[in-house]
Amino acid sequence: MAFRIVTNNPQVQEHFGERHQIHWIEGNYLAVLEFVRDEVHRGYPVLTHPLSGSIKPNETPYKSILLDTEKDQEISSSVIMIEDSIITAKKFIEIRDRTVGLRQDLLQDFQEIDYQLIKSGIESAL
Amino acid sequence: MKLTLGKIFIEDVQFGKDTKVEGKTLFINKDELLDAVGESEYIDNIDIDITHPGDEVRITPVKDVIEPRVKVDGPGGIFPGMINKVQTVGSGKTHALKNVAVVTAGKIVGFQEGIIDMTGPGAEYSPFSKTHNIVVVANPREDVKQYDHEAAVRQIGFKAANFLGELAKNLTPDEEITYETLPLLQGVEKYPDLPKVGYVYMLQTQGLLHDTYVYGVDAKKIIPTFMYPTEMMDGAIVSGNCVSACDKNPTYVHQNNGIIEDLYEKHGKEINFVGVIVTNENVYLADKERSSDWTAKLTEYFGLDGVIVSQEGFGNPDTDLIMNCKKIEEKNIKTVIVTDEYAGRDGASQSLADADPKADAVVSNGNANEVIVLPPMKKIIGMTDYVDSIAGGFDGSLREDGSIEVEIQAITGATNETGFVKLTAKEY
Repeated sequence: MAFRIVTNNPQVQEHFGERHQIHWIEGNYLAVLEFVRDEVHRGYPVLTHPLSGSIKPNETPYKSILLDTEKDQEISSSVIMIEDSIITAKKFIEIRDRTVGLRQDLLQDFQEIDYQLIKSGIESAL
Repeated sequence: MKLTLGKIFIEDVQFGKDTKVEGKTLFINKDELLDAVGESEYIDNIDIDITHPGDEVRITPVKDVIEPRVKVDGPGGIFPGMINKVQTVGSGKTHALKNVAVVTAGKIVGFQEGIIDMTGPGAEYSPFSKTHNIVVVANPREDVKQYDHEAAVRQIGFKAANFLGELAKNLTPDEEITYETLPLLQGVEKYPDLPKVGYVYMLQTQGLLHDTYVYGVDAKKIIPTFMYPTEMMDGAIVSGNCVSACDKNPTYVHQNNGIIEDLYEKHGKEINFVGVIVTNENVYLADKERSSDWTAKLTEYFGLDGVIVSQEGFGNPDTDLIMNCKKIEEKNIKTVIVTDEYAGRDGASQSLADADPKADAVVSNGNANEVIVLPPMKKIIGMTDYVDSIAGGFDGSLREDGSIEVEIQAITGATNETGFVKLTAKEY
């Protein structure tokens, strides 16, 4: 399955940037979700769940999502999934955004987890 | 498949000269336990501590909780594919040291959660405040990658539990329970008038710190399959999962799954408990579609009338849960889903990240966003310096006096989605 990776995680860009198509987001977790939402509405289905992992959207600054490179007529499930994910993410971020001012070692751990989660998605896609 | 589970009730655990069970006390020679656990190229040092219900002790960050068990009769050993050879377990006889748990603790990533308070208000939220805990803290060598550290600590926990479980081999159990599940056709023939009920057991399987193993296989690589319920009691499913402390399934929960025990309780009386379908919760959407297609197909193939589905974790597993529920209901099989909620601190927000009108029978195990203040404890096993960054914590969570204000999602087992908790939610 051909895919592109939408990410704001430098570790994902570093590991997969040469082998796979990457769309880099200069922004936060929600910015990644909102870019993906716009792409879904243009007709590109999501290939991984936007809320991958059980780390909460207000804890990690990093998010990577696989998008199809080809448009699909049937995108309703992707639309519902990304819109619901944005509602869920906002709910957590409104309670308390804990991603601001994180220590460097925590940033690296969050990058590693996001990298491992998207890697498991990429392994399924290949 | 038929298993007799012999329970040996332990009332105290102490360090001693010899490792043995004498009366109702488990004595542990620390050096012998350390020898049994062995060395790991990724671990710098291991320390072992003991703590009891009611002690002013906080254990954190907790990785896994494991019950010591041993095969007394029948094929295979506990934790097949992990520390014993791969062989189908779940029959014969197994002994368990009850009221005792091996707890692995220590920081694998900087934000890792998992608090067990042995007394105070936090103790009410964790079932593991009621066990005598043998806590194994394994500190990594410098520059060890997180996944190597996790794998090493996982094995250390199983080895410790296996070593202690061996002590139960020649003991006389205080209580014995026999569980039996017949091959499908025989089981249906035996109880022709009872509704056939199955259990869909969802396992968290998304990647590092989110993994579960079935007979040693990383469960993200399986397609849904059938298991006899007694296989779980012999450790065929183990946790490699360090996140979502409140609603992950530690290995202890896989060994003591309350849904399985309750279904057995009603088996042959109100229902015919046919067996367990294990399935996964993957990141890739096609995997989710395939796995939920297969669970639904298997429930139909087994001729089930009703299914209980339990979830593990939060967020994208909500989608697996709803996919399973919807597709099974579409086969005209009734479902009850078992989950927990992230409904905001006032409990008023939408609880799950996914929903469907067919999910009309839901058991909730509590709201993980609920806030609690954990008072200071005299002793910390592990470390609390990361508490501001754990799930459910925030800047200022750890106060100067050592008390912690957190959401209950930080407490190990607080909203466990197999019902291994005290919390529930009712609609009035």
